Formats: sequence, structure tokens, C-alpha cells
Amino acid sequence: MTHFYESTLIDTTDGFQCKSYGNEHPEGYVIVKPKYIPKEAIEGEGLKYRFLFEKCLVRFNLFAEKEKLVNYLEQFRKKFPGYIYDSPVHKNWFFVVPKEKIKTVHDGRKGLGELLKVPKKDLDEYLTLVRELVDFLCRSGVSPDNLGITHSTLMANYTPGESDIDIIIYGKENGWKILDYLKTAAHDKLKWKTDEEWAEYYKEHKTSESSHFTEKEYVKHMGRKRYEGTFGGTVFTLFTVEEPDETWFKWGEEIYEPVGTATIRGKVIDHYNSHVRPGYYEIEEGEIVEGESEALKLNKEIPIKRIVTYSIPFIQQALKGERVKACGLLELVTAKDGSRYYRVVVGYFDAYLTDRREKEYIKAEVE
Amino acid sequence: MHFYESSIITTKDGLHCQVYGNEHPMSSILVKPKYIPTGKIESDALQYRFISGRKMNRLNLWIDKAKLKTYIEQFKEAYPHYMLESPQHTEERLFFTVPVDDIERIYFPRRGLSELMAMPKEALDEHLKTVHELVSFFIGSGLRIKDLGITYSTLMGHYMSNISDINIVVYGKENFWKLMKYLETAEHPSLKWKTDEEWLDFYKKRNRFGIFSEDGFLRIMRKRKSEGYFNGCLFVIFATEKEEEVWFKWGEEQYSSLGLAAIEGIVTDSHNSIVRPGCYDIKDAKVIDGNGLKLEGINNKIKKIVFYSRDYAMLAHPGEKLRACGILEKVSAKNKENYYRLVVGYFDAYVDERREKEFIKPVENE
Repeated sequence: MTHFYESTLIDTTDGFQCKSYGNEHPEGYVIVKPKYIPKEAIEGEGLKYRFLFEKCLVRFNLFAEKEKLVNYLEQFRKKFPGYIYDSPVHKNWFFVVPKEKIKTVHDGRKGLGELLKVPKKDLDEYLTLVRELVDFLCRSGVSPDNLGITHSTLMANYTPGESDIDIIIYGKENGWKILDYLKTAAHDKLKWKTDEEWAEYYKEHKTSESSHFTEKEYVKHMGRKRYEGTFGGTVFTLFTVEEPDETWFKWGEEIYEPVGTATIRGKVIDHYNSHVRPGYYEIEEGEIVEGESEALKLNKEIPIKRIVTYSIPFIQQALKGERVKACGLLELVTAKDGSRYYRVVVGYFDAYLTDRREKEYIKAEVE
Repeated sequence: MHFYESSIITTKDGLHCQVYGNEHPMSSILVKPKYIPTGKIESDALQYRFISGRKMNRLNLWIDKAKLKTYIEQFKEAYPHYMLESPQHTEERLFFTVPVDDIERIYFPRRGLSELMAMPKEALDEHLKTVHELVSFFIGSGLRIKDLGITYSTLMGHYMSNISDINIVVYGKENFWKLMKYLETAEHPSLKWKTDEEWLDFYKKRNRFGIFSEDGFLRIMRKRKSEGYFNGCLFVIFATEKEEEVWFKWGEEQYSSLGLAAIEGIVTDSHNSIVRPGCYDIKDAKVIDGNGLKLEGINNKIKKIVFYSRDYAMLAHPGEKLRACGILEKVSAKNKENYYRLVVGYFDAYVDERREKEFIKPVENE
């Protein structure tokens, strides 16, 4: 197992641009989500195109029309089998970049360090905003050394007024420090969506994730999150990543046996790791919702202890003490010491190719 | 060897360079560094940019000269492998070069444009839509998409809509002249040529145009069709030479410097005045200011005025008289008669008094 920071951009020798998707990785690989793939490699019917870095690139999107996504991935598997990792410990597959295919790693921390050295007079309006936002976030007590930038902010292919500002926070403690700070901190450029705006957003942006929520539930969940807001009218997103000594699992130390799609309920006893990818909620009193347990043939002696998410909309979704409900892939986990428990995982890559894409969710049962 | 002008090269240590000329030594490409990381050297006299995740200096040859000189000296120390000691030129000539082994990536304008033109229109933003429309308009001249390219920020993807220029590359001198001819009369609702006022504004900003009278400057610029506005966006058209049409081959001539001089001559051929380096063939040349150099008997042997700045492109046509100040060089080649040429705009000119002294200008009836 190896550590590699989440949300870090990687250029590959085949001309792909990928984003690392997690902080723990199998030996010799980095788990990623492809972001841009040259059109000359695979035509991207049903996906959007972008002209970047001299090339027509297909913007990979897991929410493209499913049939077209399946077709695209079939071609991808055939043409670039080295970028698919069939994990023996998951009996599932991941997109990866083999280490020998890495051309460039765009270090978000180093990038921000460089940006902060640029005299303010030479920054455009977008980068000026990034600096101001970073200065503001640092008022939480987190050092700029523990922040980074990624995506178009780092690669300089942003469009002022349109592109988001994507900030990486290095370290889980730092992540919570900033998220907690943002609960009360004020800045004349900072704006969170009001409940009314979230309600409006809910009505206008129907997604497979939001379809599991009533308008009221959606507003309640989104209104208390602090990983996305606007600063000077520009959307910013905060991605917390784990330092090498704080990853909540080590790749390969547990074995996961897929059981089937399940909906579970439980009570959150720890949400500390719910702001990273993959994130999780530790639960107690975990149970399968009525009607599903017979078909799944569960061992009732083994507890359901975790809800894991790879999907960003479901991070920071529930807090300690809250009752939670989730639908995803139920797995039997066998730890190194032989102990066993069940967990539900939301957002594995394979979910986007099946009916799980529409079924999966995590929601706190809050009023 | 041949390598197209205006392509962009990124180096393994993070420099962004613009290919400078179409003829190059065997194992390296002549360039002008465009963005230089500030890790090893930096200058607060140069503008800073944040590109490719790095704080970069944008090289500008027109900053305070002492500071430019210091920066270039630091560059030579920090990046000695990017300095070319040309065996064909006198020792003081300055060339920047990227050895082939130091290339990280080459951005090809032609490939970039053909990718862009194949994009579905709905996937293009405002800037790229303008590029698409502009190129479609140029195709009306009879050129094909593969005769054209795009470069700089449009090619690299770090452009700003409504701010960044559109830089179009035309492959082949014949093609460039064909496009210029077309643009003399072609019309498009989105096309606008610079007004006198806009040209004069440009004139005031460009140090080297101080040598023209305003009227003289406007007379030339009004005819120039390599620069204009399309959908309100400035576009500039560059010509490059195909391999079979380069007007010299690197390494086939030796150049020895005689010193700074001013000359006049009648243009006999301006066909190569559209590329970099550009050249006017001249006759009846005479030295009008030799700066104390002993130049007896060479007047009629000065055959060319050569320049590296695009500002001097298309200044004169055959039969017209040019006056120029630059480095006078003796040119010798195997199996050819020796001749002389005057060169304006070597990189080393920018760090000495030649920056202000060098020029090329048409001589009107005086």
C-alpha cells in the first residue's frame, strides 16, 4: 500500500489527465478518476469535449447517459487495460494510473506556494480572489503550507467568473479546523446559499443523489455543510486530504466480499472521517431495512459498522448521534486479525454502470 | 534543420519557449524563452505570471536595460545549456536554444488548430468560438485548415476570453501572401481593421516605431492586413516557412560582424519579409553612417537587410527604398561570392545601445 494525496492531478504518458481518488493506493498504482482523455484515443459520444493543451479532450463524466458511459468504458478497457485495476481485496475494479505511466504530478501544495509568491499586482481578478480566499481560510489558524490548489486553478486554464476555485486542505485536523471556522466566520466576499437558494437549487438541479431527498431534507443537509460556497461570486470547493500517518485504512489490510445492494439504518457514533475521500461514518445499531435481509443472507452475528462514501455529495452528510440511512454495496469485511463486520459503500466506480447509480445515497434522518 | 516558427516548447525544467525562426542547428531548437520559472532566477522588473502551477517571469526585452542585462547574465549562469554558441556567428551573438533532450513537450499550432476545428461548436467557449469563426473566414481565401495553426495562450489553454489575442500561424510564405491578398478586399461582419487612432496608440507603445513619422507609420499600417479585430478580439497572423522555402540553411554561411552601421538600399525582393528572421533583398546599397568603421568598397556588396522583429515585416515592396541601422556582417559561404548584410534585432542588441539605435524604415521622398 502507498500513500498519495487525494485530488492531485496527474498527467499520464498516454495524454490523460487524471485526478487521484483517495489517499491510500495499491502498490505500484494510484487510484484515480480520469478527467480528460484525448478524443483521438477514444471518441466520446455522449460526453463533453474541451479544447485544452493543444488537444480535443473528452471530459470524463460518470453521470453521462448510462448506455453511452458503458460503451465508452468498454472501449477504454480494451484500449487501455493498464488503467483498470481489478482489486483482489475488493473483488471490484478501480481506475488507476500505473506508476510507470505517470508523466507529471501537479503538486497542489507546491502550486499554491508558488502562487502566493506572485506579487499581487501581477495577479488577474481570478487569482486575486484565490489569494484572498486563502488568506481568509488561514484566519482559521491553518497555515498556508497546509493548503493547496487543484484543477483549473492550478493548471491555469480557468475562466474568471466561471471556473470554481478548488482548494485542498492537507490533514484531517486542518480540514475540520477550517470547516468549523467557516460555521461562524464572516467575510464580505463570503456567501453561503440560503435555505431558499438551496430549495431553488433542489428544484432546478435534479440529480440522482438529490432524488432521495425531499426538498426539506435536501435543504437541511446542504445548508449545514461548509465545503462549498461562493467567494466574490465565484464558487469555491474545499477538499480535505489525509496525511500519510492519518489514513483510516491501509490498502490490502482488509478483505472485502461484496454481498449485494442493501439499504441500512444505524446511528452515527463517529463522523471524524466523513470529510475525506473515501470517507466513512462509524455506526452502531446497524440493521438492514425491512424486506431486504432475507435475500441478502446475512450472518446476523456480524455487525454492520460502517457507511463508506467515495461520492463527494455524501461527505459530511451526518453527524455523531444522528440516525442515518444509506443505500449502497454491502460488503463483508475481514480484518487482518480475522474480525469481521459489514459495511455499505456508496460510489464505487462500478455503481455508475448499474442501477446502483440511481439507488445509492446517504441521508441523516433529521427533522 | 527545419522546425516551424511559433510552435511552443515546454522544457523539462519548466520553461515555456516560443520557437524563433524556421532554421535551426542540428540538435537544438532556437527559441525565445517566454515564461521562465522563478526558482533559480527572477527579476522584479519583469511581469510575473502564475502558469502551470509555477510563479514565472515573462521575458520582456524592453524593460529597464540594466535590469535586463543582469537578468540575462543570471539566465546564462542558471541555464547555460539554453545558450547557443554559434560557430557560424561572431562570439558576441546571443541565441537561446533548447537542446532536443531538454524538451518536455512540443505544442504544435497546426495540430492544435485541426483539433479545435474538429470540435463540436457547442463545446467551444466564446474565445474558441471566435477562433473557429475567424479561421472559417480565412478559409475563404482558398487556404485549407492544415495551412493554418494557432499558438500561444489559445494553443496552451491559458487564454482569457475578451483579453487574450488570437495568434494565427500560416504555414508557407505563398499561403501567407495569398491570405494577405484575400484580406485586402474580403469582408465579414465581425472583422474590423485597426483605426488610425488604434495604430497610433500602438505606435506610442512600441519603442522601435519612434523612428517613423506618424504619417509614415500610418501609411504602412493602413495597408497591413496581418493584424485586426474579430468579434472585438485582436488577432495577429504570423507566417512560417515550409522546409522547401527557407531563405537560408543554418550552418551554410559564416557571419562575421563589422560593427554597427546605417545603410540605405533599394528593395529588389520583399517576399521573405514576412517570416522570422525576415529579409529584404536590396541593391544600390550605401553606408550612410559607418560609425567610424572602415567600410570602403562594400557599398554595392550589401545585399540583404535581415531582421528578427515582426514589426519590420512588409515595410517595403520592390523598388522602394529602405534605410536601416544594425549590425553589418560579412557573409561567406562555400562556392558563393562573399556579400554583406545588415541584421536588426539579434537578442544581444537588447542589452546594449543598439536597442535604441537599430531600425528599418522606408525612405520617403526627402
